[in-house]
Amino acid sequence: MADLQRQEIIDGLVEILRTVRTIDPAKLENVTEETDFRADLSAPSTELINIAAKAEHKFGVEFEDDDIDELGSTVKDVVDLILKAKARG
Amino acid sequence: MTGNLVGFPPEEMLLHGPTKRLLNNFHWHSPEAGIVASYTPTERDVEDHFGVFRGVDQVEAFAQATIVSLGTFLECRKLNCKPEDLKDKYIPAFISIGQVNFCNYLEKGDTFISIGQITFFKFRQMSCDGRIYKVPKGLDLDAYFKDFNEERLAAYDISSDFTLVAELHDITGRAIKTDLFKK
Repeated sequence: MADLQRQEIIDGLVEILRTVRTIDPAKLENVTEETDFRADLSAPSTELINIAAKAEHKFGVEFEDDDIDELGSTVKDVVDLILKAKARG
Repeated sequence: MTGNLVGFPPEEMLLHGPTKRLLNNFHWHSPEAGIVASYTPTERDVEDHFGVFRGVDQVEAFAQATIVSLGTFLECRKLNCKPEDLKDKYIPAFISIGQVNFCNYLEKGDTFISIGQITFFKFRQMSCDGRIYKVPKGLDLDAYFKDFNEERLAAYDISSDFTLVAELHDITGRAIKTDLFKK
């Protein structure tokens, strides 16, 4: 995971999303950076925090509380945050 | 903040005004695990409602005792500040309420405990599961919970003299930055 590519992160996020019982697995077939957790996957707002917590663990990064305050609701937003946190070290 | 909330004045932990406070005392607290706190409904709490404390107020009382108090304590410990210092910065907000089952009722003067355990805490968001029990009349709650521990919390191991009133799951709240909340 030293040099994460965006697609690798998306694939990892989809693995996380498959563990979220409130998300219909059928909606995870064509996840792209534009996919919106709320609008496209109908994920409750509470799940976004859980997804972020699982992403920290999966990608070996640590998010700040303020990162989450400013986080948008698309896959791209999370990918960008993971790369930002990775760069921060 | 250090130590725990036992003996700490709730009015210094809950930053909203007294008419919305549904918390009298903290009796047991383990910062990473959970809490036991009590409240006794007043005349005002049951007014216009058949002399009975409303179910929604039970949920609010449980939330004040658990996610708000527990979350504020941990945030203050992290930032080395007092609850008052967070007042202008954050607003404690309900995010979601999971399953709640009511099994009994509470009248004016019935002391009850909210006993809650933390199931998630990250990014200023906390979820708790727990129960509300009506307390036997005259019981000294500080003395009763003096030797309580996390194992007993997990098992809701309390005397059968307590009456189960409600079971609450996934009560979730988050401290949201004031400027974001008002957008």
